[in-house]
Amino acid sequence: MDDSNLLSDFTFFLKEKKQEGIKIIAYLAHDNIPEELIDAAGFFPLRLIFGGSDELMDASHDYLPPSTCAFAQSCIGLFSIKPNYYKFLELVDYIIVSNHCVSDICVSEIISKYFNIPRLNFYVSYTKNENSLKYFKLELQDFRNQLEATLGKKISDEDIHNSILKFNNFKKKLLEINELETTGSEKLKLIHKSMLFGPDFLHDLENLIQKFKDTPQPVSTTSKDVLLTGCSIFINDNLIDLIEEGGGNIVFFDTWIGNHYYSQIIEDNHIDIEKDPLDLLVLKFKNNIYSDHSVPDFLKQKVSFIQKYSENYKKNKGRKLGVINHIIKFCDHISLMSSFLKDSLQEKGIQVLNLERDYSRANRGQLSTRIEAYLEMMK
Amino acid sequence: MKTFIGIDIGSLATKIVLLSDGKMLDHRTERSTYDFKRIGHNLFDDLLEKNNLNKDDVFLMSTGYGRNTIDIADDRVTEITAHAKGTQYFFPDVHSVIDIGGQDSKAIVISKKTGNVVDFQMNDKCAAGTGRFLEVMAHALEVPIDQFGALALRSNKSASISSTCTVFAESEVISLFARGASKEEIASGIHRSIARRVAGMSKRIGVGPKLVFCGGVALNPAVKKYLEDELGYEVEIPEFPQLTGAIGAALIAEANNSH
Repeated sequence: MDDSNLLSDFTFFLKEKKQEGIKIIAYLAHDNIPEELIDAAGFFPLRLIFGGSDELMDASHDYLPPSTCAFAQSCIGLFSIKPNYYKFLELVDYIIVSNHCVSDICVSEIISKYFNIPRLNFYVSYTKNENSLKYFKLELQDFRNQLEATLGKKISDEDIHNSILKFNNFKKKLLEINELETTGSEKLKLIHKSMLFGPDFLHDLENLIQKFKDTPQPVSTTSKDVLLTGCSIFINDNLIDLIEEGGGNIVFFDTWIGNHYYSQIIEDNHIDIEKDPLDLLVLKFKNNIYSDHSVPDFLKQKVSFIQKYSENYKKNKGRKLGVINHIIKFCDHISLMSSFLKDSLQEKGIQVLNLERDYSRANRGQLSTRIEAYLEMMK
Repeated sequence: MKTFIGIDIGSLATKIVLLSDGKMLDHRTERSTYDFKRIGHNLFDDLLEKNNLNKDDVFLMSTGYGRNTIDIADDRVTEITAHAKGTQYFFPDVHSVIDIGGQDSKAIVISKKTGNVVDFQMNDKCAAGTGRFLEVMAHALEVPIDQFGALALRSNKSASISSTCTVFAESEVISLFARGASKEEIASGIHRSIARRVAGMSKRIGVGPKLVFCGGVALNPAVKKYLEDELGYEVEIPEFPQLTGAIGAALIAEANNSH
C-alpha cells in the first residue's frame, strides 16, 4: 500500500496546525493515552503509527539492541534519520513517556533524551481493580497538571467534556468501517487516515463512508476472509499487500489500529456535564477490554471475542473466517501469548496463522509463502 | 490425456517432473543459480523435447521460492501444500512432513481424513536449520557436502554447538578446532544442532509418526539419524526426497484439472 500521499497530506496538515500555534504531542501507538485531554488543552495528539524498513531498524541500533521490538526500532529510526515523508517529526513539541510495554518505556525515553524533545509522563497500571482505577485517575490528574503547566492556564472541565464528545462521535463513525463492503486495504486506508488526522477528518470520513455505502465494492468471491489480530499494520507497511496478493482479504481489524481503538466509546448515558470528566476517562480505561493492560483476563477475553466473531461471521455471511495473528518480531507481549492464542482457537476449530516478522525486505518471500500456504489450507 | 508438469524452483535447486495419470514419467534437477527464470525455462523446454510434447499438451504448475518468477506457469501453489501432496505419492498414509531445503525448513501436519495440510511451521529468515547452514559448515571444515553426513556418523561423540546463528556457529567451529576436537566430532555436533532446531520447531505443531523427511537435506544420513534421536521415532525418506515439491505441484495440477 503506497502511503506517500497520506504522509504528504499529513505533513501539510501538521504544518498548518503548527502555524496556528498548536503544540504537537507525540506518543507511541498506545491504547490508554488520554488524547481527549491533549485535545482539550488545544494541542494536537500525534500517534506514532508508522511502519518500518531495514534502514529505519538499522538506524536505531546506536540506541537499541537489534533484539528490541521491530516497531520500537523503527520509531527510533524515524527520529534518527527523519526520511523524506516523515519530516513532520521535526514539528513535535513533546513526547509522552509511558509504559505500555518495555519497548514503549525505552523508546519514549530515548526519543526524549537523544533527540532533545521535552517529555510529558503518563504511566498506566496493568490491572483494573479498585486501587488501580484510583491510581489511573491520579495519573490523569497529573497529566492534566503537566498539560496545564505547558499551556500556562487551566483546562476547563467543559473543554474536556467537549473533547470526549468529539472523540466519541468520531469513533462511532469509525465503527461503521467494520461493515463496509470493500477490501481490507481500502478499510485500512480509512482507519490510518482517521487515526492520524483525528476528529478533524470526521467530515471527510462521513463522505467517504457514505460513498462506500452508495457504491459498494464487492470483494472477489474467491478471496479468503481473514480476521487480523495481534500487532497492528502500521502506515507504510506492505503486509496487507502481501495478504491481498496471496488471495486473502482482511474483513476485520482486531488490532489497536482498528476496532480496539474505535470501539472505545463512552456511552452517552454516562456523559454528564456536571460530573468530573476524568471519571469518564477512568471508565473508558476500565472498559477497554482489548488492552494488554487488562491483566489477568486479556487472553481469555481475546479468545472468546474471536470465537464469537468467527461463529457470527459464518452464520451471517456463510463463509469461513481465518485468523492471522500478526507478531512483530520481539514484541514480547504479543509473541509470548501467540502459542496459547493459537492452541485455544484451534481447539475451537478456528485455524490460526501465527505470522512473526520484522520489517526487513529479506523475508518478503518467506512471508508470502506462509500467508499463501495458510490461505491454501483454508480451501 | 493431458500431461502435468510440476516445477519446484528452490533457492539452491530447481526440480521438474512430468506426470501423467498419477505416475511420474520423467524428471530433472539442476542448480537454480541466480537466474531462476532461465533455469526453469531450460528444464521445461528440455522435458518437453525429450518427451515429444508441446506446451499446449501440458499444464505447468510452479512451486517453491521462485514459483512467481516463471511466467510460463499455468498456475502456482506454495511448497508447503505441494510437499504435503508430493509425500503422499510415496507414502499415502503420511501424517507429518519435515522438509529441509537450501534456504528454509518446514514442518507440516497432514489430515489423515482429507490429506490436506492442517498446520505448518517455517523457520524465519535465519539460515540456521537449513541446507545453507550445512553448506557453510561443510565449507568451514573443508569437507565436500555430499560426504558431510557420513563423516558425522563416523563419530561416537558430538561436539556441542550452542550457537543457532550460522555466522556465530562458524566461529564456534573454529574455536572447537583450537580446543582439539576432531573433524568428525564437530561434524556430528553440527548435524545434531540442525536436527535439534528443526525437531523443536516441528514439535510445536504436533508432528508425529508417520513422518516423512524430504528436501535436499534428506539425502544427508546424519540429519535423518539425529532427527530420529530427537523425535524418538522412525523418519521415512521417499525414493526421490528432492522431488516431492515438484511431484506435489503436478499432482495438484492434475487434481484441479481432472473434472
